[in-house]
Amino acid sequence: MTALAAALSSDARAELSKVRAFLRRDLLTAWSYRVAFFSEWVQLAFQAALFYMVGRIVNPATLPTYGGTRATYMEFVAVGIAVSVFVAVTVARVSAQIRQEQLAGTLEALLLTPTTPATIQLGSVAYDLLYVPIRMGIFLLLVALGFGLHFHASGVPAAALILVAFIPFVWGLGIASAAATLTVRRGTSAISYLLTGLMLGSGSYFPIAAFPAWLQGLARVNPLTIAVDGMRHALLAGMSGGELLRTAGILAATSVVGVIGGALAFRVALRRERRRGTLGQY
Amino acid sequence: MTVVAEATVRAGAAAPASPPALEVVTVDQVKRSFGVVQALDGVSLAIAQGEIHALVGPNGAGKTTLLRVLTGLVEVDSGFVRIMGLDPSRSMRDVHRRLGVVVSGARSFYMRISGRENLVFFARLHGFSRREAVARADELLDAVDLGDAARRPVSGYSTGMQRRLAVARALLGEPALLLIDEATHDLDPQSAARVRALVKEAARNGAAVLWTTQRLEEIRGFADRVTLLDRGTVRFDGTLPHLLMHAARDQFLLRLSGLRVARAQLTGPDGTRLGALTPSDAGGDHYVLTLDPGAVLGDALEALGSMGARLLSCSEATPSVEEAYLTLIEGART
Repeated sequence: MTALAAALSSDARAELSKVRAFLRRDLLTAWSYRVAFFSEWVQLAFQAALFYMVGRIVNPATLPTYGGTRATYMEFVAVGIAVSVFVAVTVARVSAQIRQEQLAGTLEALLLTPTTPATIQLGSVAYDLLYVPIRMGIFLLLVALGFGLHFHASGVPAAALILVAFIPFVWGLGIASAAATLTVRRGTSAISYLLTGLMLGSGSYFPIAAFPAWLQGLARVNPLTIAVDGMRHALLAGMSGGELLRTAGILAATSVVGVIGGALAFRVALRRERRRGTLGQY
Repeated sequence: MTVVAEATVRAGAAAPASPPALEVVTVDQVKRSFGVVQALDGVSLAIAQGEIHALVGPNGAGKTTLLRVLTGLVEVDSGFVRIMGLDPSRSMRDVHRRLGVVVSGARSFYMRISGRENLVFFARLHGFSRREAVARADELLDAVDLGDAARRPVSGYSTGMQRRLAVARALLGEPALLLIDEATHDLDPQSAARVRALVKEAARNGAAVLWTTQRLEEIRGFADRVTLLDRGTVRFDGTLPHLLMHAARDQFLLRLSGLRVARAQLTGPDGTRLGALTPSDAGGDHYVLTLDPGAVLGDALEALGSMGARLLSCSEATPSVEEAYLTLIEGART
């Protein structure tokens, strides 16, 4: 039994060490596209400037309060942009990665190595799961400095914890999207619609109070709303330990469901493609 | 529909003193269809350790499907497949540990990163530590003569270089089985010869090789056995000399003098048809004599003598693999 456990653990370690190889591959690839690498930042800067202008015509009275203080629209929306862009970019990259591998002919080469599908899934997104949150943090820092936003430094660890609890959910969405890509090639629309719905109904750009009453109820159980709202509380007002645990706990539970659902969808898609014999087709 | 099968001793077992070669691949009565298309229809095949087994056949014959079945990426509808005793669709990881594959198609690498980084990446997926992966990648890059281009992005590689890199990748895990799909398809003769030499070396080291190709003549002196697949069915399975027997059309290259005609239909004294004489591509006094079924060379030469021709030389024409291939394919379709 101990030998079996040791073998399993050694196998798991070997699989995890492969994730580092994926990280290196994707870092080298990203660095080879330096112009795209920097243009993403320029795009984010334009988006921030746009919302700054929008913020000047928004009535502050319509915005929620955090810790008794009313946020400015820029403070409110900066967190929303950061989290929404994080979700959109991560999901897009996770599913695009599989499509990219299909088109490049490398998916078959990957699947012909003695690597588990789970490692391939994790490895394919490891770079984005690390890079995108870092990019999000830097964006928030630059926006706070550039537009004079009042974020609580003490809320940063709590915001980071919320993000960590939320990342697997986004990954799960990405895997589900990848499964759709694997099965219907360009048919990621279903996931795109779901994603757009999640983002629109999350209060990322507008307060939930602005939604119709029936939508407000749905928005409150939207995991993205919970993450965005939690991070706003953490960064704009600080967060008590109890509040933080509650938020992170809900997100962690949602993440478990998201990852299991995504992994199952991918497994089913892979199995279906092998049965149909169309795995390497594009 | 006939299957030409040859009952021969498996490669490596010819000498009584040698132990029988281990059968690495066993395929028995495999069927696989895609919709209404029957891609594989009762295909059987066996490949022994150290054997290079050529898989030939026209486009759409089912060659790539068979390869994909062996990798476990495509499941069979019925039949039996074992790689080193394992079912590839159920024990995919274990099979992939000892499997090297050169996939068809020009692209299967990360084009933005170097050939060396590509190999290191795939070596890591084969379970090598980073240090081992770098050492193995460097060793193989030298073996395929890509050492100088190792640090260049793959996007700058020629087709031949990419093929050699693909062979290097297939050899990363010191495979017991190499599956090679059209590796020399679009290569110049020099690059193709280099790829074949690498594969031959792997076979000498004990790897079983399944080599699919459309370049029929390249299997001469290279493959130990040949399977001819057509419309998902095995038309021939045996050694190359036995395949070539199907091309034997009793052709002879003659040098003649004193002949006043360019071509002639030869008949015996009793009017029996003996064969046809046609000018050879070599021109001058060179001719090709094709005997009719049942005709004897001596009778044909006598008929030529009676036409005033003097025989300067006579040699048997070498049958081409393509002729054998066409005879079998066309024979099966008529």
